[in-house]
Parts: sequence; structure tokens; C-alpha cells
Amino acid sequence: MFTPSPRRVESWLVNAALILICFFALVPIATTVLISFKGERDIIRNPPNILPCDTPERAFDIRECRWALEGYRRVLSPKPSNGLLSVALTGNIVRVYIPNSFFYATTTALLVVLLAGMAGYAFSRYRFRGHRFLLVSILAITGVPLLTNLLALFQMGAVLRKAQLPFYDDRLYLVLVYLGFFLPLSVWIAKGFFDTIPRDLDEAALIDGCSPLGALLRVILPLAFPGLMAIFLLTFVNVWNEFIAGYLLVAKNEFKPVMFGLYEFLGQNIINLQVVAAACILIALPIVVVFIFARRAFFAAMIEGAVKG
Amino acid sequence: MQQIGIRRRTQRWLRNSLPFWLILPTVLILLTIQVYPALYTIWLSFQERKPTGWSFVGWANFKRLFGMGLFGESVGHTFVFLLGYAGLTLVLGFVIALLLNRKLRFSGFYVTLLFIPWIIADIIVGIVFRLLVVPDYGLLSGILQNPALFPPNGLSVLTAVPPRPWLGDFPFPPAPAMIYLILAAAWRALPFVTLLLLAAMQTIPREILESSRIDGANRGQVIRYIVIPLILPTLVVAIFSLTLSGMNGVGMVFSLTGGGPGSSTEVLSYMLYSIGWRQLEFGRAAALALIIAAVNWLLIGGTLRLTGVEERSR
Repeated sequence: MFTPSPRRVESWLVNAALILICFFALVPIATTVLISFKGERDIIRNPPNILPCDTPERAFDIRECRWALEGYRRVLSPKPSNGLLSVALTGNIVRVYIPNSFFYATTTALLVVLLAGMAGYAFSRYRFRGHRFLLVSILAITGVPLLTNLLALFQMGAVLRKAQLPFYDDRLYLVLVYLGFFLPLSVWIAKGFFDTIPRDLDEAALIDGCSPLGALLRVILPLAFPGLMAIFLLTFVNVWNEFIAGYLLVAKNEFKPVMFGLYEFLGQNIINLQVVAAACILIALPIVVVFIFARRAFFAAMIEGAVKG
Repeated sequence: MQQIGIRRRTQRWLRNSLPFWLILPTVLILLTIQVYPALYTIWLSFQERKPTGWSFVGWANFKRLFGMGLFGESVGHTFVFLLGYAGLTLVLGFVIALLLNRKLRFSGFYVTLLFIPWIIADIIVGIVFRLLVVPDYGLLSGILQNPALFPPNGLSVLTAVPPRPWLGDFPFPPAPAMIYLILAAAWRALPFVTLLLLAAMQTIPREILESSRIDGANRGQVIRYIVIPLILPTLVVAIFSLTLSGMNGVGMVFSLTGGGPGSSTEVLSYMLYSIGWRQLEFGRAAALALIIAAVNWLLIGGTLRLTGVEERSR
């Protein structure tokens, strides 16, 4: 007779529990995907049905499923055009807001990597007066949320806008604000990554005739690349997901980021759940895909950052 | 000769001041975007906008803020929210971390799936949860609005009036919308806490756990007397960072409940937005921002003390 050992049974139970937990963790996402593929007449059913596959006779018939792309069509609103693809996507979310957010996220993330890399390297390799004070202050600032500074930042933005500086618009200001909020944590993460690279390597490079900057660029930077990549991804996601600053600090709607676009969209489509769901999926999907492929980088950055506050 | 001397000296000067130049941009940005606005907010909280410009009004903004009935209520909402949110997330996160803290064939798979909620924007999480309970059409509404389950009329989460409070004005028991908001927020924060606790648990040496099992401790005792004490600092950090994120996260309130029904999910962070940008009372909003910031600073100070960062910043 086959009798599983207690260890085996335990392992099955744990796996079963984890599968159940994963299931619950994904239910809200799965339902949103489902809703986004329903047609209008299946959305306004009362009582609601989970799958749009019922017929008057039967509760479920796989051949009668009424999947629809209506939600996506209304978010993208494709129109024929003479361009390269012969179809232009004219929905505001894809035409205005996603490119805006892409710009904000890429610019901020690149600058954060550059500045945090510089500062993190200095904090990791040099001891100078005020070293500890600066590091602890930067860490303390990490915890400060955007929210309480937002009133002052809003006023500062209004003053800057009135000054009508050349080349200046709200986009620059928003990038600066994002920098101020996502830099501190990244400096700490970068310092942590640099600390793991043995100091002997710099010294060897210096002895071989590299300048300090040359040592940083030729020896340390390639080794630190995975860490800097993690900082880039983390900042990109943080900026992409940020709502309140983008909403309040930018005056013109055409410069606002995608989370504002989504919020506005929610107000315009109170009944059309499939349209809202499709917009959510389109906005979250790129981030989720990047996360699944680069999850190790995310976890490394997250643990490095979280342990420090 | 002279030329080479100057070049050497410049080189040495550059070399010695390199860390300064590397750190300078970061410090300048933090001064403009973090330090200056904080001071500006303090100044703003003693001002009021008059047609002629700002004028000093002393503590009037604070007095008027405390005089608002909504302020006390909002403090209560925030308290209930934080308690539910941090408590629920911590307990669930601890259990899931315990489950994951062993050799499992598919642990990478579980971790990836479990962590997807963490990467989704709070605004989107709010909308996703809202879609589930839209009156009449949401998939959960089909269950919750069943009069047999919730007599007499079924439960419509986003419109149900809050129950009568038990203790004076303190908003407990919370409105269904508040409970739902807590669930949504906990759903999103859970991966973060799980990973934090899992990382702490993995630093506990196996020998300690094994020797305690050999000495006859049962599973509950191992958790109670070994695991929890050893990860206590991380648990406290988790509580503090949950409290911080809960106090200041506003996106989910925006897209899920909008503070309603009535004012039953109006937490302090949302109140700051509505005083500042709906009523355009910047002075009073700044007073509220200072109060929130003060709580934040206490929490940050506590976290710094507990994690012993001072030593690690050598």
C-alpha cells in the first residue's frame, strides 16, 4: 500500500494553500480582464453573470460566448488614416496620456540612475566631513510623502509658471518634483549596491593608472549595472503609477500623465464598465509584463530599499 | 615647470573634491523639492489669502481646522483605516511568509503571481475594486445585494450608510465602504509586507529552528518564541511603513470611494486635498499638512532608531 509520508502531506497542504492564496490575489485582476472583453449588453445585466456565455436555455454554452472588443475599441478609437499603418489610434489615453507618462517615467528614471549612481558611489567609497549626517538626512527624507509638500510645490509651480521663463513648462517642473521624491531612496539603494563591489577593484584600477573617474566608469560601472538597472525599473514604475502630483502640479491637460487620464476617463464612463476595464488593462499591462520578466531586479531593489525604511 | 605644477595641483584638487561634485546635484535637488517646500508649508500655515495677498493670521488656521466637525471625524476614519489596513496586511503577510519560507518546487512561480498586485497603481486598484461592486452590475454586487444574505435590502457597498457609532462620534463600526477600502488597500500592500517578512525569516539560521524542534518545541512555540522575537525589528518597520503609506496614500480613495458615501471614507489625506484644492483654503490645508507631517516625522524617527541605520551609515 502507498502511504505518503507526513512530510509529503505537509508539502501538498502548503502548495494547496499557496495556490488558493494566489487565486484570491488574482481574482480582482481576472475579473477586470473578463469585464474588459464583455459587450455592452452583458455589462448591464442584472443580476450580473460572470461569463457572457449563457443562452436562454442553458446557463453555460462555450459556443455561445459573446466576447467583444468594444471596450478596447472605445479606448483606442482607431480611425483610418493615410499614415504608415493606415490606422491611427485617436483615443486620448493612447494619443496623449500614455506618451506623456512614458516621457516622464523615462526621463525621471534616467536622471535618477545618473544622480543616484553618482551620489551612491561617493557615499560608498569616500569618507568626508558630514558623510553620516548627509546619509541619515537623505534617509529621513525618503520617508517624507509627497502629500504634505504638495501645497508648497503647487504654489512654487504657480510662481514659476507666471515668471514665463524661456524653455520652461510644467513638464520640466514635474520631472524635477519626481526627481526630488524618488532620488533619496535610490541613493540608498545605489550605495548598497556599490558596497557589495569589493574596494580592491577600484584600488587595482587606480594602481594600473586609471583616474578616479576612469575607475568608476570602466571598472565599477559595468559591475554595478544590474543594480542601476533595478533603480531604473523601480523609478520608472513609481513615476508611471503616480497620480496626485501629476494631477495637481500640471496645469494643461495635454501635459498630464496617464493616471490622470484614467481618472478623467472614469468620470466619463460611469456605466460603461467594459471601457474603464479595458483602459485599466492597457495602462497596467506594460508594467506587469516588465515586472514578470525583471522581477529579480525589482526584488533586489525593494529589499535593499525596504530594510532601510 | 610652473605649468606642470598648476596642472598637478588642479588634478589633486579635482581628485579630493570629487565626492563633493558627485553629491552636489542630489543635495541641491533635495533642498529645492523637499526642504524648501517643508519650510514653505510652515510659513503657509500661518497665512491667509486676502485679495491684497498673503497676510499673517497667527494660529487662526489651526483653530479653524480644529473647529471643523469633519476634522475630528476624519481623524477617526484615518485611525480606523490604519488599524484595519496595517493589522490585516501584517497578519496575512506573516502567514504567507511562513508558508513560503521553506523549500518549495514552485516558490518562484507563487512569488511572481503574488506580487503582481504590488506593481499596479493605486488608482487602478481602486478602479478594479470599484468595478466589482458597482451597484447592480458589479460581479460582487450580484452576491452582496442579495436580500437573503444582507436583510432587508441587500448590501450596496459604495452607497450603504454607515452604522450608528457605538462610542460617541468615533466612527466605529466602520461603513461598508470603509471596510471595502481597507480590503483593497491591504490587497495591494500585502506583497510588500510578505517579501519584507520573508526576507527577515530567511536570515534566521536553520540550526536554531532545528535545535528547538529537537528540544521538543511544537510549531506554535517555535513561531511564538523564536521566529517572532527574531524578526521583531522587521515587524515594527513593516508596521511603521504601512502606517506611513496608509496615512499618505490618497489615490485609492480618489478612484474607489471619493471620500463617500457622505463622508464615511474621508481620511485625513483626502481631506487635505479637498480643503486645499476644492475649497482653495491653502492656509488651513497647510495647517493640516503640518499635522500629518508631524506624525510622519515621528514614524520616520522611530524607524531610523529601530533599524539602527546610524551604525550602518558608517
